[in-house]
Amino acid sequence: MTTHGRRPDETTLTVWQVVELARHPDRPYSLDYIRRMAPDFIELHGDRISGDDPALAGGIGTWHGRPTMFLGHQKGRSLKERVARNWGMMHPEGYRKAIRLAQHAAKFNFPIISLIDTPGAYPGAGAEERGIAAAIARAIMEWFRIPVPIVAAVIGEGGSGGALGMGVADRVIMLENSIYSVASPEAAASIVWRDNTRKVEAAEQLQLTSRDLLAMGVVEEVVPEPEGSARTDYEATAVALDEALYRHLNQLLKQPTDELLQHRYERFRYIDSLIQAEPHFGPKI
Amino acid sequence: MVAAKKPAEVRITGAKLPPIPLPTNCPGCGVSLDHEVLRRHAYVCACGHHFRLGADAWIALIADRGTWKERYGDVRSHDLLNWKVPKPYQVTLDQLRDEGLNEAVRTGTCALGGREIWLATFDFRFVGGTLSIVAGERLARGMEQAAASGLPYVLVTASGGARMQEGVLALMQMAKVNAAVGRLDVARVPFFSVLTDPTFGGTAASLALLADINIAEPGAAIGFTGPRVIKQATYADLPPGFQSADFQLARGQVDMVVPRPELRRLLAHLLEVYP
Repeated sequence: MTTHGRRPDETTLTVWQVVELARHPDRPYSLDYIRRMAPDFIELHGDRISGDDPALAGGIGTWHGRPTMFLGHQKGRSLKERVARNWGMMHPEGYRKAIRLAQHAAKFNFPIISLIDTPGAYPGAGAEERGIAAAIARAIMEWFRIPVPIVAAVIGEGGSGGALGMGVADRVIMLENSIYSVASPEAAASIVWRDNTRKVEAAEQLQLTSRDLLAMGVVEEVVPEPEGSARTDYEATAVALDEALYRHLNQLLKQPTDELLQHRYERFRYIDSLIQAEPHFGPKI
Repeated sequence: MVAAKKPAEVRITGAKLPPIPLPTNCPGCGVSLDHEVLRRHAYVCACGHHFRLGADAWIALIADRGTWKERYGDVRSHDLLNWKVPKPYQVTLDQLRDEGLNEAVRTGTCALGGREIWLATFDFRFVGGTLSIVAGERLARGMEQAAASGLPYVLVTASGGARMQEGVLALMQMAKVNAAVGRLDVARVPFFSVLTDPTFGGTAASLALLADINIAEPGAAIGFTGPRVIKQATYADLPPGFQSADFQLARGQVDMVVPRPELRRLLAHLLEVYP
């Protein structure tokens, strides 16, 4: 199954270690993958209303011989770049840019790849003033109408509604040491105990690892990472991610559009039916 | 010349509202409260303070007397993720059920001013009105039915967001319900949303603000991230009235701010205007 001889369910990491790997500052970010997958990638900017959100990179590249729209949260490597990219936390402009580029892709019949790596939407006053809630809400609704195949991959942090705003797709996959959660462990601890220092306990309860999400049926596949995690080998991780994304996309490209959209609707409509049928599958820690 | 049709008399409430627990003094103006007077005024103080209502009170307020037909009330939550802290989720659910509450969203059909509608209302008393699998399921089923039958869809929100204890599956309800909003939209079924105090997080960022007409209650706090988290994350000083109904009106997120005693009349009117 994997080129590295280790299946994802054989990990010996604790949940918190996985959270730390998912957030590791040396972990590859969206543009590290996109530039390897599509060396001719051209970045496009702006929501055409009021601004551009650098927390979301988006643009066109040739991938497996096909023009493809790439979108991805970008966290930034140096402190200066992190500030400029806002640590990958999007403002309303970012969600509007995402939908603009998705509609652009649909116009030219380009498939869409969305890479998710965000702590969440930006929890600041400016985002609130410019309508972050409605921007995410509208994006989620619009993704269901984009008439081209969409494959999303969580490559690091999939934090809350900010991640889901980029995560409505025909297939959603995860890198082995990535997380996807209703809230960050800190936020969940703050909500449950009003004490965000109890983040480790919260992380263990939330069931946010790739294995948990695969078991719940929320994602289709977990892509194994090299020994020592993605940060030790960008090249190999990019090859594995590329292979998995293309395998899923290739199946979707054969589907008629109405069938594609109906399946996308049903994917999220019945996403909890697996766990409903099997209560108490419980944490595996 | 056709004489304008005399509007049917629409009362403040469809039925008598159930009693709700109230403080002895109004938090808005400090006056000591007369429960019976407040109840007749839909639990709005003379000073304009709107007390929070549960789903039972909202149903009594909006539905014409005797017309409410609850749907999907038997779809119930369970502790699917074996959530143990700070107390077992199943215990929380059982306690709330013993208090007579049935999940954070109740839905069904009723009449409003004689017009049949789908109604869904959040209940903040049930785990903070949080969007859960069952809440999402009830909302989605109702919207699918409304889209198929053409009945207008009226929503009342009061919610802290997605329910932590159901993990990422609660998050996925945002996608589930927004997909269903898309079905309402395509079917051109009127969708009216009443945002009450408080409406935040995954509920604000899913169906609450996507209606054809968004109506906020005076003084309701509406936003994505709560003020406590914003202050923690950004050390920002938030001005008074930040995320209030008037704040959202000024920033283009809601169409109007409507006092509760006028709500029912407004909805009845809208149901006549929108076919």
